[in-house]
Amino acid sequence: MLSSKDNYMYEMIRTELTDAVGEEFVGTGNADKFGHSVDYYWIPEMWHDRGMPTPKPDFVVHPGSAEEVSKVMKIANHYHIPVVPWGGGSGSQGGALPVYGGIILDMKRMNKFIGIDKESLTVTCQTGMIARHLEWRCNKEGFSTMHLPASIACATIGGFLAHRGTGVLSTKYGKIEDMVMSLEVVTPTGEIIRTLPVPRHASGPDLTMLFLGSEGTLGVITEVTLKVHPEPEAREFRAYIFKDFHTAMSAGAELMRSRLQPCAIRLYDEEETIHHVRRVFGMELDKGAYLVFGFDGPADIVECQMRRARAIMEEKYHGKDLGSKGGDLWWQNKYKFFYPPFMFHIPQAFGTLDTVATFANIENVYHAMKKVVNENFPQARFIGHFSHWYEWGCMLYARFIFEGENVPEDPAEAAALYNRVWDMAIRAAIANGGVINEHHGVGLKLGRLMKELYGPAMPVLEGIKKQLDPNNIMNPGKLGFKGI
Amino acid sequence: MNIDKYTDAIKNCRFCFMCRHLSGIGNVTFTEADTPRVRASMIYGVTMDPEKMADKDFIDTLYRSDLSRACCFHCVNHYDENSLNIAMRTDLVEKGLAPDYAKAIAENLKSSSNWEISGAAEVLYFTDRYTLQTGTVAPAFDAIMKKAGINYATVSGGCIGRALKVLGFAQDAKAAAEKFVSTVKAAGAKTLVVSNPAAYELLKNDCAEFGIEVPFAVMHTSEYILSLGLKAAKAAGDIYYLESDYLKNYNDNLPFPRQLLAAVNANIKPFGTNNEESYTCGEGAVLLPEIDETLVAKLAAYIADRADDPANDKIVVASPYTKIFLSKYTKLNVATLEEVVAEVL
Ligand SMILES: Cc1cc2nc3c(=O)[nH]c(=O)nc-3n(C[C@H](O)[C@H](O)[C@H](O)COP(=O)(O)OP(=O)(O)OC[C@H]3O[C@@H](n4cnc5c(N)ncnc54)[C@H](O)[C@@H]3O)c2cc1C
Ligand code: SF4
Repeated sequence: MLSSKDNYMYEMIRTELTDAVGEEFVGTGNADKFGHSVDYYWIPEMWHDRGMPTPKPDFVVHPGSAEEVSKVMKIANHYHIPVVPWGGGSGSQGGALPVYGGIILDMKRMNKFIGIDKESLTVTCQTGMIARHLEWRCNKEGFSTMHLPASIACATIGGFLAHRGTGVLSTKYGKIEDMVMSLEVVTPTGEIIRTLPVPRHASGPDLTMLFLGSEGTLGVITEVTLKVHPEPEAREFRAYIFKDFHTAMSAGAELMRSRLQPCAIRLYDEEETIHHVRRVFGMELDKGAYLVFGFDGPADIVECQMRRARAIMEEKYHGKDLGSKGGDLWWQNKYKFFYPPFMFHIPQAFGTLDTVATFANIENVYHAMKKVVNENFPQARFIGHFSHWYEWGCMLYARFIFEGENVPEDPAEAAALYNRVWDMAIRAAIANGGVINEHHGVGLKLGRLMKELYGPAMPVLEGIKKQLDPNNIMNPGKLGFKGI
Repeated sequence: MNIDKYTDAIKNCRFCFMCRHLSGIGNVTFTEADTPRVRASMIYGVTMDPEKMADKDFIDTLYRSDLSRACCFHCVNHYDENSLNIAMRTDLVEKGLAPDYAKAIAENLKSSSNWEISGAAEVLYFTDRYTLQTGTVAPAFDAIMKKAGINYATVSGGCIGRALKVLGFAQDAKAAAEKFVSTVKAAGAKTLVVSNPAAYELLKNDCAEFGIEVPFAVMHTSEYILSLGLKAAKAAGDIYYLESDYLKNYNDNLPFPRQLLAAVNANIKPFGTNNEESYTCGEGAVLLPEIDETLVAKLAAYIADRADDPANDKIVVASPYTKIFLSKYTKLNVATLEEVVAEVL
């Protein structure tokens, strides 16, 4: 819209923005604009790889406070300029991409650590703080957020709130939405609001939950109070190999039904087990499914829970015990495989089809997704693991991978192939009781499927969006909401 | 092109977010451009379309990197985005696209080189501009040498090549390094001791890359002083040690600074929240203050923000550069290793 600097309107708006946040915090340089045109979504990466231009913002604004965010929102509303919050850009769904140009609101300057309330065990910070920095800061005082995602080093707390992210200890400590006490939010029209100070109440519907998962479409989350936990006295892991995936899934589900409190459970399907045990343990297997779990807390309670969990694994499901070393190695390597060269990368085409369903449905979801990928895209590999477990079900972290030679060189064809896999696999999940996504969000990538998932409930979401954002300036075209 | 030597870094860093928390400049400018991911991605763009090299913004982004190498040290496979950046700068210089400020700094470095050796001795101590600028590091070293009863001479007078290399002037850097090495060789020194970790890097690693033989031992002051086996008369007490980019990230965590501190009974307390971020004010970039001193001030403020008790903490650094700029821009109480040792002997 304003993409030409020759248009004097560009300078008019830049002047207003600099008045709001300061000259040095309004970027208009090519490097910064480029940096915000590619996030962790495969399509812009592939687009750049093929030498194609990626949609750029007109301005990159770095607000330093909620008040500054508010001023920016008011300017944007006045001129109807799209505003896209950007945390670390590590989102895999294209949620932070400035597809209609406009303003990128890079939140990383809002990185203040506000403090720990040691009586209530909560921590308050601005949302542009990188999760690793927050965790380090809490660790220094003997606490942990227990939010330990693989992207801890690169994503902001705001990004996790906006996507309902999750970490490796979610089975005990919850996803980020379970960790939140309250939020400060700047609405699309520039009001600064706070949600209620506590997450459990009977004082009307829960506004906090409305903004969690809203992916920058309903407002800018500027501050958060999260729960923190003392560093546990003990944390122990144990790993097993089961004869097949179904047996391992039954054992994992039984562990959750037992109401013991594992901090983590991870189960690899048979394909991923072969690969995983080879690279982590140097072990050759031709079948079986690897399951690892752990407990943390006071040492005697960990010991007791571990004993009872082992009985489930060994006596009821006859798992082959890899011992605590088999579990510890998994824990020690939990981030390693997200680094190059281990992580999938272009020229491969790959995607994480994460979904979640009840124990009654999850195996069907897995098989349906796998079948649809295998049958329709025989050139792709499908692997999966189950990494976040609840009392009622678990999350499937499925992946499809095309080797480079199977990915069209033409970028439009490559994108079309990619989208077809997503459409088919996600529809298979939804048809079997799954949802579009469990913790990576919807973004640009999956917005088109939101109407199918929500059905007649979608207009409710659209109504909320319209009420909060009458000019449709906040991250338009994402989360299934209309574009410009 | 020089960047062709680093295609693995281009390919792997260009879409990788995993070390962004350690991006020193990125953490104070808050811009995406100041991350290994975006720099590598832009360089990938250059491989597709060399015209992109001429973009002023691209060039400035490269030149404002603090080159701490914390990312490479942290990286599981140690991809070297730092060297990629320097290789890209070298390509810019070779194509006549170096920014004016870099050219001016390089010219100044080249024209002001004039080596002087204070006398004949087996041990030569290199007093570079930062070491001299502190006004305290060379006297502290001298006090230690007197205590040890060792005769030494000093060599000083210019840039030995690291700063030129970092700016992308590889040929000039090589010439400067050759001249310095032959000067030291001609003086008959068996051991060259350096306080400035950047000089250590040049003599240990850059010279090998340039194919220059270094026919004398090169030691950082920490290693050299440790080798003297001096006994401290009193304990150095509670200190916070801030790692040097060059000694830690470039040289595989050289153990001597910490060993030396232990030898003088220092109780090293953990600074800030982690030992991964670079707390050097841009030591890796050598001349960042001449490129943009406001960035150095921000890096210093970032460090001060992380101190437990800024007014009273005793901060120890290996690098004279870091001492100068931390002292200039913060109220922290900063000493170098040499000063700490001299005080307790
Ligand atoms: C290697 C790797 C591993 C990953 N592992 C995990 C994992 O273990 N668990 C997990 O949950 N995710 C994971 N992810 C995905 C990603 O890190 C998360 O989606 C994260 O939440 C994104 O945060 P960000 O700060 O990078 O947000 P961005 O990508 O910048 O933005 C994501 C969305 O949030 C919005 N947004 C950002 N900040 C705000 C704000 N303050 N207010 C309102 N909206 C905002 C944006 O507009 C966008 O829609 C991984 C990503 C990578 C690259
Ligand atoms: S240095 Fe390693 S961690 Fe950093 S961007 Fe490159 S590949 Fe990623």
